[in-house]
Amino acid sequence: MKRRLIELAATTAALVGFCGAASAEWSKTYVVEWNEAAMYYGAKTGVTDPGTDCPKGTNPEIDQVKLLEDAGYTPAEAKWLRDPANPSRSPVHGQNQMAFRGEGRANVYIHPETTKDYGLVGVSGKISEGINLDGDTSTGFVSPTGEKGIDNTFYKTLGCWKTYRGPPRLSSGALTFNDSMREGAWTVVIVVAGKGDDPMNDKAVDVGFYMSGDKLVKDGNGEIARDYTFRIKPDAKFEALFKAQTKDGVITSRTAADEVWLRDPSYTGELQLLRARVSLTMEKDGSLKGYVGGYRPWKPVYDGWVRARGPVIESLTWVRLPDVYYALKRSADYSPTGPGGEKTHISYAERVDAIPAFVMTPDASKQVTEVTSYKAMASKEPPEKKKIYVVDGLVPDPKVPFGESLKVYPVPAKVSEAASAAPASGRK
Amino acid sequence: MLRRETGDGQFCPGSEDLRRFRAFTCAGAASLALAGATLFAGGLGDPALAKTPKAKPPATVTTAVRRITESQYRHTIADIFGPDIKVNARFEPERRQDGLLAIGSTDLSVTTSGLEQYFALGGSISEQVMDPKSRDTQIGCKPADPGKPDAKCAREFISTVGQKLFRRPLTEGEISARLTTAERGATLAHDFYSGLQLSLTSLLLAPEFLFRTETAEPDPASPGQYRLDAYSKATRLSFLFWDTAPDAELLAAATSGDLQTPAGLNKQVARLAASPRLDDGVRAYFTDMLQFDQFESLNKDAATYPKFSQAVADSAREQTLKTLVDLLIDRKGDYRDIFTSNETFINRYLASIYKVPFASSQEWTRYTFPQSSERSGILTQVTFLSLFSHPGRSSPTRRGIKLHEIFTCQPTPDPPANVDFSKVQAIQNGTVRTRLIDHMTNEGCSICHQSSDPPGLTLEHFDGLGQLRTTENGLPIDVSADIDGVKFSGAQGLGKFMHDDPNVPACLVKQVYGYSIGRAAGYRDQSYIARETEAFAKSGYQVPALLTAMATSPEFFAVKIPAGVKVASQSDTPTSPTR
Repeated sequence: MKRRLIELAATTAALVGFCGAASAEWSKTYVVEWNEAAMYYGAKTGVTDPGTDCPKGTNPEIDQVKLLEDAGYTPAEAKWLRDPANPSRSPVHGQNQMAFRGEGRANVYIHPETTKDYGLVGVSGKISEGINLDGDTSTGFVSPTGEKGIDNTFYKTLGCWKTYRGPPRLSSGALTFNDSMREGAWTVVIVVAGKGDDPMNDKAVDVGFYMSGDKLVKDGNGEIARDYTFRIKPDAKFEALFKAQTKDGVITSRTAADEVWLRDPSYTGELQLLRARVSLTMEKDGSLKGYVGGYRPWKPVYDGWVRARGPVIESLTWVRLPDVYYALKRSADYSPTGPGGEKTHISYAERVDAIPAFVMTPDASKQVTEVTSYKAMASKEPPEKKKIYVVDGLVPDPKVPFGESLKVYPVPAKVSEAASAAPASGRK
Repeated sequence: MLRRETGDGQFCPGSEDLRRFRAFTCAGAASLALAGATLFAGGLGDPALAKTPKAKPPATVTTAVRRITESQYRHTIADIFGPDIKVNARFEPERRQDGLLAIGSTDLSVTTSGLEQYFALGGSISEQVMDPKSRDTQIGCKPADPGKPDAKCAREFISTVGQKLFRRPLTEGEISARLTTAERGATLAHDFYSGLQLSLTSLLLAPEFLFRTETAEPDPASPGQYRLDAYSKATRLSFLFWDTAPDAELLAAATSGDLQTPAGLNKQVARLAASPRLDDGVRAYFTDMLQFDQFESLNKDAATYPKFSQAVADSAREQTLKTLVDLLIDRKGDYRDIFTSNETFINRYLASIYKVPFASSQEWTRYTFPQSSERSGILTQVTFLSLFSHPGRSSPTRRGIKLHEIFTCQPTPDPPANVDFSKVQAIQNGTVRTRLIDHMTNEGCSICHQSSDPPGLTLEHFDGLGQLRTTENGLPIDVSADIDGVKFSGAQGLGKFMHDDPNVPACLVKQVYGYSIGRAAGYRDQSYIARETEAFAKSGYQVPALLTAMATSPEFFAVKIPAGVKVASQSDTPTSPTR
């Protein structure tokens, strides 16, 4: 009879107990302490430096005055609008006037196609982190360890954008989003369970990603502390189950999961992955590191950045958001409806770092030792709608003529008229 | 200008007002700094009382003055004014003597900065009590005109609250002084409540509140002898059992004289012991005995013990107190089982330190360590293990010293000034046992280390935070010990050894006695301590039984008149009610 082995990762030294009759032969449980888009960094140091990934470095800082001039503002108007010392340039929304640079003063964040595509420079290197999603080794990138066929067009498209670029765990975007998670905004736990004798080499392994309502706890060094307990919080949407296997401690999907949803570490908030797979390594120190990948819808990515207050994002991360829109749309490489359908999705991988943790059932009565769905236990209450007012106000109030507040610098009548007519329809 | 008025007519103290305000309220506290250091007959004086006509010295002797502790202050305020009153202050440090802060409290005074703290705190509490939303309930009466003084209502409040704070009825002089304050304050502010607030602040600053004054009176049953007066008795009982000032029933028993009778005393002690508030008393006692005040300065090297945090420290402290209350009070268990019982409580923070799952949706849950955990009672909880370690490493020596000091009342002398610690501190070498053996080649150190280190070394499977380990620097840790010919191994062996050590219960009896009376048990107390220890054993080492037996014994209230104090003549009338 096979020895029942429970290797709860949080108790590498102490055997905690045996699981129930229906549970797997072994299980390890973790909590995600870091996750970010898998963006291979090809430079030696610095965010903006050239590297094998981006030979010219990151996309350069935007000349926003010129951008406004391109949109039809006079140089004086453009400078006035961009002058942070001007107290009356916008009494309510600061620099939100950057929105109204589309055709007919349309809001370019809502209607990105009302402005031209300046062209976002993407990755030209050959190396990428991620997973071979389509099984084709003749396409895609080569992994840092030499594996061919890595599919990560998301990286190819946005990898030279300043917000995503940098060594692992050091890009500004990853720092921002993980700070939020690590301060308690959300928690994701991972359960790995198998039925074989050897967890490191098991042909039937299940992997589950679940939400938890218990916050991460930081240790004395500011890192997430190990061995804390987290209860699964059933969620009707955010749950990802994978059929996998282990070989020498590396967990890889046996088959792709048709559709999973994860909590996205970005302004998008939600990460739908089609044809999803995992590639995770059980490290000697008890941690779990690797990737979860698949094809994600590209439009919510753009929408997320826009909702995060587009003008600020553009200013801080050196990008024209409409360029991101055009780039993602242009690069999308997957259609859910088949090869001939509209490519609404783009190949993507997320880097996941997890540490040992105790994972409990939702009522905290038992340790979780198997991978199963908890969606049926999710609250029937509709999720609380997040209040994001960022886009509000970017659309001019038609009752208030544009320029009403611009007493210091009178705006030409034709500009006012054009602006008050916004939002204009998109350019076809 | 004495007074400014805001737009809504509220009194707003300006600098001159503040000076006068302080003059009012500080009048009762002017002797505060002297009170802790001075024993004197006739009670502790409020200067305002000096004007009272009673010139005849009372026939009582002040036998002890002890500054109330922070927890006693907090409990008292919560009892009188409710738990919603915020007590936001830093209290002055306390002083440990003969192993207990309670004994050190007899030597404590109040510094200038401490007085400032009490002043600010008293003002804050008074302000909260006089909050318009709750003052009707707090005060219990309403002034005829809220814009004017009201002596009747003020007297009622001052008398009632003053008795609770002073733990005895106020003298007429004490009342009239505060009435004057209330009247003048109300007149100045055109607000009855502002005046009463000043009076309450004055009461909260008074040495009669901040210090427990124990008073002896002539014993009518034994001419020429003294006994503790009834209010001092009530106070001693209440602070021992409940860690707070006497409640109305206990004060009534003191006033009626019941408390001076065996039956009355037994009745009150039984009531105090049966109350759920006994938890507070037991927690306060063990907080003192186990030296948990050191948690306030506990620090750990984050590189070595990253899991340590203030939340962990607070949780650890609470874990041990919960464990003790559960075992000793709720389950009326054997005191000696504190060294062997693995039934405890954990929260999410501690579960991480102990590397066990936290199977509860509540803040705390019961937990029993399995045999494989190597844990054994409170010596293997994070409290003892982390408190008596170094910031970056464990310390068998410190653990051993504290084990002897706290649980067997055997203090260890301080090390000589010229000790070379270099071998012990070379933590990269071997295990701490091998390093200590090297260290003990110094003959000046070996005597003490031979006593302290063996028990401490048995706890070495727990690091400086209390986390389980089996190796140090890659070497297996030897946790064997031979103490007085008794060989055992590990924490569980130590727990059994302590459980069976007769010095352990005897030490508790001695400590509880010292904690209660405010002085260390001396040579003359030996036979009493021995009798109480025997009774403790017969009770099955039940702590409530120990407290009850001690509190109902005559020796517990025995009076020791300070040397050089003139005592009353036999013809003097005792001030305490009697039957």
